[in-house]
Amino acid sequence: MTRPVKKVIVIGLDGLEPKIVEPMLDRGDLPNLAKLRAEGGYSRVGTTFPAQTPVAWSTFATGTNPGGHGIFDFIRRDPQTYLPDLALNRYEQTSAFLPPKAVNLRRGTTVWNLLNAAGIPAIVLRCPCTYPPDIGKGRMLSGMGVPDLRGGLGTSTFYTSAAGETAGESENIVELRPESSGTIRTQIIGPRNQKGSGPSANLTADIRLDVDRSKRQVVVHSSGQPRTLEVKEGQWSDWLRIKFKIGMLQSVSGMLRFYLVRLEPVIELYASPLNFDPVTPMFPISAPWEYAAELSRKVGTFYTTGMVEDHTGLSNGRFGEAAYLDQCDQVVREREAMMLYELDRITEGLFFCLFDTPDRIQHMFWRFREPAHPANAANENADVTYSHDGSADMSRVIEDHYRRCDTIVGKVIEKTDDRTLLVVLSDHGFNGFQRGVHLNSWLHEQGLLKLCDGVSPGEEAGEFLRKVDWSGTSAYALGLGSIYLNLRGRERDGLVAPEDARSVQTRITQGLRGLIDPERGDVAIRGVVARDEVYAGPYAAESPDLIVNFAEGYRVSWATALGGVPRGICEDNIKKWSGDHIIDPALVPGVLFMNRQFNSAGPRLLDLAPTILDALGVPKGPAMEGESLLS
Amino acid sequence: MKLLVIGLDCAAPELLFGDERLVNVRRLMAGGCHGRLESVIPPITIPAWQCMVTSQDPGSLGVYGFRNRADHSYSTLDIVNSKSFKAMTIWDHLALEGKKAVIIGVPPSFPPRKVNGICVGCFMTPSVDEEYTHPPAVKDEIRSLVGEYMVDVKGFRTDDKEWLRDQIFEMSRRQFTVVRHYLDNAKWDYFHFVNIALDRMHHGFWKYMDSRHPDYEPGGPYENAIADFYLHLDEEIGRILAMLDGDTAVLVVSDHGAKALQGGFCVNEWLVEQGLLVLKDYPAEVTPFGKLNVDWSRTKVWSEGGYYARVFFNVEGREPQGVIAPGEYEEFRDVMKAKFEATTGPDGALLGTLAFRPQEIYREVRNVAPDLIVHFGALDWRSVGGVGYGGVIHLRENDSGPDECNHAQFGAFVLAAPNVPELGKIEGARLLDIAPTLMEVGGYEIPETFQGRSLFGGSLAETGGAAGVSVEAEEVIRQRLSGLGYIS
Repeated sequence: MTRPVKKVIVIGLDGLEPKIVEPMLDRGDLPNLAKLRAEGGYSRVGTTFPAQTPVAWSTFATGTNPGGHGIFDFIRRDPQTYLPDLALNRYEQTSAFLPPKAVNLRRGTTVWNLLNAAGIPAIVLRCPCTYPPDIGKGRMLSGMGVPDLRGGLGTSTFYTSAAGETAGESENIVELRPESSGTIRTQIIGPRNQKGSGPSANLTADIRLDVDRSKRQVVVHSSGQPRTLEVKEGQWSDWLRIKFKIGMLQSVSGMLRFYLVRLEPVIELYASPLNFDPVTPMFPISAPWEYAAELSRKVGTFYTTGMVEDHTGLSNGRFGEAAYLDQCDQVVREREAMMLYELDRITEGLFFCLFDTPDRIQHMFWRFREPAHPANAANENADVTYSHDGSADMSRVIEDHYRRCDTIVGKVIEKTDDRTLLVVLSDHGFNGFQRGVHLNSWLHEQGLLKLCDGVSPGEEAGEFLRKVDWSGTSAYALGLGSIYLNLRGRERDGLVAPEDARSVQTRITQGLRGLIDPERGDVAIRGVVARDEVYAGPYAAESPDLIVNFAEGYRVSWATALGGVPRGICEDNIKKWSGDHIIDPALVPGVLFMNRQFNSAGPRLLDLAPTILDALGVPKGPAMEGESLLS
Repeated sequence: MKLLVIGLDCAAPELLFGDERLVNVRRLMAGGCHGRLESVIPPITIPAWQCMVTSQDPGSLGVYGFRNRADHSYSTLDIVNSKSFKAMTIWDHLALEGKKAVIIGVPPSFPPRKVNGICVGCFMTPSVDEEYTHPPAVKDEIRSLVGEYMVDVKGFRTDDKEWLRDQIFEMSRRQFTVVRHYLDNAKWDYFHFVNIALDRMHHGFWKYMDSRHPDYEPGGPYENAIADFYLHLDEEIGRILAMLDGDTAVLVVSDHGAKALQGGFCVNEWLVEQGLLVLKDYPAEVTPFGKLNVDWSRTKVWSEGGYYARVFFNVEGREPQGVIAPGEYEEFRDVMKAKFEATTGPDGALLGTLAFRPQEIYREVRNVAPDLIVHFGALDWRSVGGVGYGGVIHLRENDSGPDECNHAQFGAFVLAAPNVPELGKIEGARLLDIAPTLMEVGGYEIPETFQGRSLFGGSLAETGGAAGVSVEAEEVIRQRLSGLGYIS
């Protein structure tokens, strides 16, 4: 007889793919997960439309489809400007003279809201779309959505003594000019200066670099903590806490780590994005607000931005695979430490902790699983010195990381008792991303998107839909697989009359369904769903009009996400960001393990919130669409 | 852009900028520019606020203080009121463009000014039973909001400090209630109020705070009274800021600063001693100047007291019994200026007195100006007009009741607006620069009659709201999305 549940522990392993997990389970590579499967159960778990991390975890948290929580995509758009923006949160400034306040765009009622209302505490670590943090009884550390000091998800800086280096994705380049003594004076690029432009566009903090070739290191002198920081070649440094003066009186502090890539023939030094210091964040990142500081006191300081893995450093070729994995390892150790700190002291209620890193590692290493991946030809200089177990085979990195996750699950199992419900799940699976589809270019080809006179698809069309002639445009794509109608009464220059919306939708749906990649001859798009087929609820009207379900190996192209209209319809994805999951959700379910038997007939992420509530004896919320899996 | 002026009478830069607990003031400082603001001569509430809002110096306005000579007779001075000022204020200029104003307690505002909007009388309002608002119905509205509106603390030169402090706080709270009401409920493009309560706090409590004050005693009961009042102001400013939309410029500004009062310099007593002021009979007790029996036929110089001295010469052909020949006037004035500047303190050391010729410091000299304006000890000392101190020149007490501070030449300003760059601390700003600066920030043309210059020198004018999407907006979006990974 099972005893009633006193605590529910939920471990999120972002992006764990059933098609990798299942054979590993069978081979005995994941003994702890296998144990859960044997004692309780295992199933694939249905993800959301679309299969994106913030959407999926918000559905996990609220038990509603995205129409009930308002997160439909990483990116949303303002119909009045046609401009994209981050969809997870926004900053509201009620007065121009008071500091802006972060507002979470994930709405609805969460499982922890309901538990708190029933007097049950919850501890939520790093759940996406929990910024700003909101918890009544318990503790919360915000996850995806927390910005870096510059207000984005993460902008790094690459210092090089070579001239003429151009900035890659999400990075600043700073050219180093060594003085004859070998000393280098330079700056850390801080937050954007709200009102500055040109050279004063950024706040900066002066640093001095002393290059010591005999010790293979650079010593960073700054006004921060510590005053002198040793950065060894091929290693990540400790944290440097540094303050930036805002105006004359205020300062904002952040922290960063360096990675010294090389000293010869040129000096190359990578600086991570500036994270909020958990002790003095610019905006609250925990609830209670001092909780982040408490954690850093107990388990050491930690990365705080919403996406903590330095994937752009690897994408931009600033450092190799080994350095990236080192950094991921640090992230996982931090997360594990805070998880264990809490598991040791909780006695009741919900504990949730997300490990994002499996998602970030798979994005960057999927290419090694697919020899034909276009990224392999483009990135022949992959860092093959990496060796986890003496092997140099990069294709094993993902499995290795799954084993790491399994070890973490083992440590969690040790903290459970017979009154604990343990849930381990991923929010979606994973897949290769070999080819990108230019949705706007297809709309243009179909005459549904018009470019200004004399402008053809390609670079001249720019991004942000800049050269779109709205007077002749019926539909446009923005974000990660979203298509919007240029709807009269909603869009600024709306063209499509509401009564014609259905026929335009049908035309797009029929045109894209089964779209063949002209170069490869493969099906690139399996189908398109209209909003009312998949969304219902108070926020459904904010959703895209159409969601594109890509086939395996395909995804929306890089350019489309920000409103580009390139030439052609499909292109190779040659980036190291080579795996993805924003395809037909039916193709990328997640995994679900529990230490108790559950109804494994087609569970969905929707069912998890009711399950957690059921286990703790709290009725599910009125908006929750799923059912408890325990009954 | 809408313009909001938060006037803090007498706010001292070292106090306003020196307390990091004033978080709302700090926010404005961080979001724009701030600095010392050099006042006019004399740095006195009247005429300083009018100089600020008209961008004209006291000479051009023809008003040299609360009291002014109406003519060249020896009769006592007239007290000014709102009708003494004819020059167009910033809100008069805006009214020409149909813009609405709310003016609350901007001295002098009694009788209430007929503005295009609302005007509430200042501390010179004799009683709130009078018609002290425009339109008159505003008076009833204020009564229903706060009951008895307080334009001033009557009898603020008192030793009953407990009572005084409570009264000042109450006056201030009632005014902020009224201010918030009209910020919300009136239509306005220009909103200007002046908190006189701060000036009363300084005059009533300075000695408890400032170790440079001769009567300072550490750890006194009111040591934090002034700091507490600044905290109150900051909190009220925070409540106001939360009510504003993004299209508003906010200026926190004072008409002058404050400093410890070392004592009184008996200017007429001193003139008697110098033989320049001749009395028919020296009074048996301390007597105000107006009640002295002056022998005008032998008197060359006399003065009015106050925070500073208005010094008048008895000039032949100008005054009824003038004795200084017009041809000797300038030479005599040079000598007098030198004499004043050579005045010494009780210890015999030079006071550092400043004497000004109106014709030198003003662009124009209208009405009847003093012949010299004297700041004893650069206003460390006030000017005592009475005679009968038996040859004593330096007084510790004030002749008109307890008063712990004098005015300092430098007030303070903090200006923040969406179009104002973060310039931090600015040096060299002057009182007359405020109105043109506000005009530029608000997007208005600066009238030619304004004597000051905009602190931004026209540099804000170029940033117009461009149609379409700015490159900057795209840059912000790119920044917000940077690091997402799914895009590039």
